[in-house]
This record gives sequence, structure tokens and C-alpha cells, in this order.
Amino acid sequence: MQTLSIIVTTPPASYLTITAIDYIDQAIEAGIDIVGVFFYQDGVLNAGANIAIPNDEYQTHKQWQRLKTEHDISLHVCITACEKRGLSDDITDNNTEQQLTNSPSKSNISEYFTISGLGELVELSAKSQRVVQF
Amino acid sequence: MFESSKKIAILNSSSTINEASKEALDAALIFGSYEQPTSLFFQGEGVRQLLKHQDIQSIKVKDYLKTMSALEFYDIENIYVCQTSLNERGLAEDFHLENVQVLSAVNFSQKLHQHQVILRF
Repeated sequence: MQTLSIIVTTPPASYLTITAIDYIDQAIEAGIDIVGVFFYQDGVLNAGANIAIPNDEYQTHKQWQRLKTEHDISLHVCITACEKRGLSDDITDNNTEQQLTNSPSKSNISEYFTISGLGELVELSAKSQRVVQF
Repeated sequence: MFESSKKIAILNSSSTINEASKEALDAALIFGSYEQPTSLFFQGEGVRQLLKHQDIQSIKVKDYLKTMSALEFYDIENIYVCQTSLNERGLAEDFHLENVQVLSAVNFSQKLHQHQVILRF
């Protein structure tokens, strides 16, 4: 079986992100095994739990959700790149070092994404026959 | 470590003061620490990352260029730069790293395509 990993480096509203999702769907349809998707650079913004894209625009965040729930595609985010951009699974106000007690959730990373590091990128690259970056 | 015969290329086309360049170096060092055969390629504006005498701290950017000297400790010794990109910008072959190999555009392309995974920044 052919194996493929995808690297996403573009933010949620980027047309390249839409192309990445299309590409993954086509690969699934062609019977290619998707080893995993790795989000790096501004691509980690796709993992934001609070993304709201206007209804008449393409809902990339819902598509990632669909790929995870319907096809069990692993969505790995680089936590260092996340935290640099304000996404965290342990929200603390970095200005006061205080846990945000009034925050309803301690994470602003979507539950459909897996917290990972660059080591996961190495593993995906090693495990799949082909790596495609968007 | 992961069994893999794949050669990894990190292709740098962003200038020194583009934040992508630091994230490229971070990725390169991780591939190196997992003992994956990794090469660095510099073309276009990316060639500026190799130039000597850059004081990026003066514009409050962390001096990640200094970190590049650690590449050899991760066995990342294949560093290639595109001669055409240097010429187009009138830049001399005066680099802050040793082992930099200057290649013609054709040889640069051939070398790049000997790698099975190409990550571009």
C-alpha cells in the first residue's frame, strides 16, 4: 500500500490549506494510506479551538474535524510553534504567570488535534513513502 | 531512531530576517538529532542566511545564525548554496559557516533531487 504524509504550513483561511484538504481527500479515495498530517509554522493556527470562518466561506476547520472523525487521520501540531502563536494546552497569562482562572477551558487547541513536536515530523517522514508540503 | 533510507533536504528561500528561516533551522536540527541524513540548501533570498557580518540582534531578532555553527555536531555537513542566486544579488562567497558548497543552478537542482523529502521554508 502506498503511504503518504502531509505537512501544512499555511493558516486556516489560506487557499493552500483548502488545496491540502482536497489533496488528502483525493489520496484517501485513491486508497493511499495517510500516515499523518503535521502542522508547522503558521499551519499550527489550524488547530485553534476558536476558529470561526464566515458561513459562506470554506470551513477548513470543520474539514480537519471531518478528516479526523470519519477517516481517523492523525493531526499533529508542533507545540513549540503553537505556543509561539498563542495556542496552548495549558493556558497561562504569560504576562502575569497566572493560570487564567476565569477561562472556561485550559486549552485553546482543538480536541481533534494531537499535541506533538518536531520529532513527529521526523517519524512521519521516515514512515511514509512520500511527503507533500503545503 | 527510525529506520529510513530517505535523504532529507531543507530548502531555504527566505531571507535572514524572515521568521521561517529560524523554524527551518529548528527542523534541520531535529532531523539531525534523530540521525536522519539531512542537507541544507540555500537559494534566492535564502542565500543571505549564510553571509558573514550580519548583526540581526540590532533589529531585535534572536541571533539564530550563531546556532548554525551547531549543525556540524548534528552531522549536518552538506550545505549547498546556489551560485546564480549569489550572482544575481552581487554577493561574495564569504560565509559564516565552513563546508558551504557553491553550486551552479543546474548542479544545485540535481543535488536537490537526490533527496527523497524536500521541506521548503
